[in-house]
Amino acid sequence: MTEQKEKKLEDIKKEAEQYKCPVQKSLYFIAEFLSGPMCGRCFPCSFGSYEARIRLRNITEGKGTEDDINKLKRIVENMLENSMCKKGKDTAVYMSESIELDSYSEHISDVCRDKECLSLIEYIIIPEQCIICGDCQDVCKDNAIIGEKKKSYLSGYMPFEIVQKRCTKCGECIKVCPTNAIEIVSAKEAREKEPVAI
Amino acid sequence: MSKPVSLKIDGRDVKVLEGTNLIDAAESSGIHIPNLCYLKGVRGIGACRLCLVEIEGMKAPVIACTTKVKEGMNVTTDTEKIREMRKFVIDLILSMHPLDCMTCTKAGVCNLQQYAYDFELKESTFTRKKFGFSIDEANPFIKREPDYCILCGRCVRVCKEQGTNVLDFMGRGVGARVITAMDKPLQESECTFCGSCVDACPVNALLEADRWRKGREWEYTKINSVCLSCGNGCDITVSTKDGSIVKINVGTEDSSVERYICAIGRFGFDSITADSRITAPLKRIGNELKETTWDDALKIAAEKLKEAGKGAGIVSTGNILNQDAFVLGKLASQAVKTKNVDTTVSLYADEDSMKYSDSVDIDSADLIVAVGINPSQWERVLPALDAGIRKRVARGAKLIVINNPSESPYTPLWKRGAEGDFKGGEGGFASIANINIRGDEASALAQVAKALKELAVSGQQSGSQEIKTSETSPIEQVVALFVKAQNPVIFTAPSLFNASVNIKLVTRHLSLVTPKVVAVPLEANARGVVSMGLIAEGKSYKDMVSGGAKVLYVIGEIPVNQRPKGVDFLIVQGSHMTEIAKQADIVLPASALLESEGTIINYLGRVKDIIKAIEPAGSAKQHKDIFIALSKAMGNPIRESKIKTVLEVKAKAKFSPFEKREGLDINPNEFIESINKHVINHSRLLWLKETEKVAV
Repeated sequence: MTEQKEKKLEDIKKEAEQYKCPVQKSLYFIAEFLSGPMCGRCFPCSFGSYEARIRLRNITEGKGTEDDINKLKRIVENMLENSMCKKGKDTAVYMSESIELDSYSEHISDVCRDKECLSLIEYIIIPEQCIICGDCQDVCKDNAIIGEKKKSYLSGYMPFEIVQKRCTKCGECIKVCPTNAIEIVSAKEAREKEPVAI
Repeated sequence: MSKPVSLKIDGRDVKVLEGTNLIDAAESSGIHIPNLCYLKGVRGIGACRLCLVEIEGMKAPVIACTTKVKEGMNVTTDTEKIREMRKFVIDLILSMHPLDCMTCTKAGVCNLQQYAYDFELKESTFTRKKFGFSIDEANPFIKREPDYCILCGRCVRVCKEQGTNVLDFMGRGVGARVITAMDKPLQESECTFCGSCVDACPVNALLEADRWRKGREWEYTKINSVCLSCGNGCDITVSTKDGSIVKINVGTEDSSVERYICAIGRFGFDSITADSRITAPLKRIGNELKETTWDDALKIAAEKLKEAGKGAGIVSTGNILNQDAFVLGKLASQAVKTKNVDTTVSLYADEDSMKYSDSVDIDSADLIVAVGINPSQWERVLPALDAGIRKRVARGAKLIVINNPSESPYTPLWKRGAEGDFKGGEGGFASIANINIRGDEASALAQVAKALKELAVSGQQSGSQEIKTSETSPIEQVVALFVKAQNPVIFTAPSLFNASVNIKLVTRHLSLVTPKVVAVPLEANARGVVSMGLIAEGKSYKDMVSGGAKVLYVIGEIPVNQRPKGVDFLIVQGSHMTEIAKQADIVLPASALLESEGTIINYLGRVKDIIKAIEPAGSAKQHKDIFIALSKAMGNPIRESKIKTVLEVKAKAKFSPFEKREGLDINPNEFIESINKHVINHSRLLWLKETEKVAV
């Protein structure tokens, strides 16, 4: 086993930039903090950041409530005031920078503006743009895409469709679609659009 | 020297000594600052962040446990802001704590429960976290339930400070756990089962193993008494319920380094209710001991003692209380009229060392010199002294060990570890000493004395007030430490007491602080029985137990298993059916430890009260009451008069030769084990003895 050098908060901050969604950024930051630089020597920081991760996960998973945001605010406040060292305080500062953004409350009403919180988004195929080439079906590891590949001598083909229950939102299909027919939409909007089956 | 400092805490004027932290300062004026990780006497670590206070002129709140008092400080311990921060921490801890206060044994004395109450938290407002850690209950002493642990680290620090160093954290933050090395059960670790961690735990994570459904704290009657198992005579707090003992805790105040009791003191109380207790007088009929009445037994004993008169011999343990010892002396001189009275003290100590030892407060000692003694927590030989010295060193005192390993063989009490492999470091606490002098103790002391004398001479010659020392040889280093010391203490084997006193006499001629010299006995009340006058004027203990008396009266548990040859009539008075009691002609049931009342003088020269915690078993009586009844039966009734315990006798300021007293070299390990045989063999300590034997 090689001793891994402890990550610096600055590095984690940079890495978090891979996300656009502020909640995802915070979650990434706190998760990395917990598994890396957190020393666990004082209670507000070590217990607080653990709780913060739970709350942030709730929010990204679409289970978030107003209470989660309030608790996060409380954790941030206390970590900022009462952590023993700078690491805990800096973590609190990082979270505090985004906590007041509208994005958080949008998440509570099931909207991830940056379409990064998987529970809040759906992948759909825009029928008008689908050329039924089957590339997406080939790369889908989860067999989530149904439809039949078009054979040029036959007609009457239906565009492909994504079965939401199977889709893991891995994003592979988007990469291969030649016509940009696959789109990420808010799950909430998608539900509202869909006719309710009786 | 510490100066007094005045400050204001919550508007109250507080005056404390310099160097006090804010928690202790507030406590002294009755203000409690919440805390979970603070351990009185040990440097604060500021982990729990509950002890936040606001200080005038400071921007942010600071933690009280690591903040020292300053002149004119104005401290507020309870503001809206601080309350929220404390509540936040308690709230978080509650989210990972099993909330089963309704059945929890610790209810009522649980710090977390108290703070939850104070901050009006019925339950946590945070996400519930469950761990399901496995419980360590593989030993009959200490149960570890990590699910309850709040990670305050008190147990870890207590264990570290006293030198046992068994517990440590695994992981960090939520989900961390206190474990032994390799996460083994306690009995497979280096644990001595002293239970210091149990006393330190603020919650139910560490608890005595047998406490389930034995009542909770508020149902107990608490009595402060003293353990008499070895020469340390530690303070204990006994909890009783419905007339029987439920548990024993350490009784010394929080901040003292004497806050330690060993497994024997804490868990040995089972022996009081063991089957081997003698609950009624017995007399020999043929080959058997049969129960009889007190009157009958006393009559027979009285007749025999009267008959023997001058020739009768009385031997006692050094574990009887002052009052017992005093009445025993009277019984011997006034009723039996014999001079043959002696105690086991004569096996390891002379009269001088017990009478002229100083009174000492270890907590203020800044230089400790251990001469010819080998206390060990692992071997359970004067374990509290070992722990106390280790803690004192951890808190900044210097330690000099003068020891002759070849002459004081270190045979482990319960044969733990291979020979020469001493738990707690090579040669016991010598491993943490600043200076180690191996070899003949008396001649080492002579060298130290000589070096000190030379220092005095050179000081006079140069005429300077300042004493200059060179620090090249160990002896010179010792002298240098003596020069710097404000409160030097010498703990010595009784056989080296006179030699050690010489050092004291030498320092008197110098402008140095004279050290206190304490001879360390092996029995709790050795100093007491000697000052009560139980010193052999006739035959000695050794003579009598080797057949020097025709009629022998044995009091308490003595390290003799065979009825001495040549003894025609043997009277044994004790609490347990010992080997020698089985061979007696008359057995008189005496009350056990914690069933008697009186005082002792411990090795540090403190008079300590022994308070009766429970009633004697069966028709057992306290020693002194038996002596009085016996004197009546003999027709020469003696009366118990008030005794005065003379604390410190002025020692003769006379040099003695630097010599080790001969004939006082019994093996302390074996001696302490044999006088505690009934405690060890008739309680759960037997399990420990067997387990530790297997571990070799």
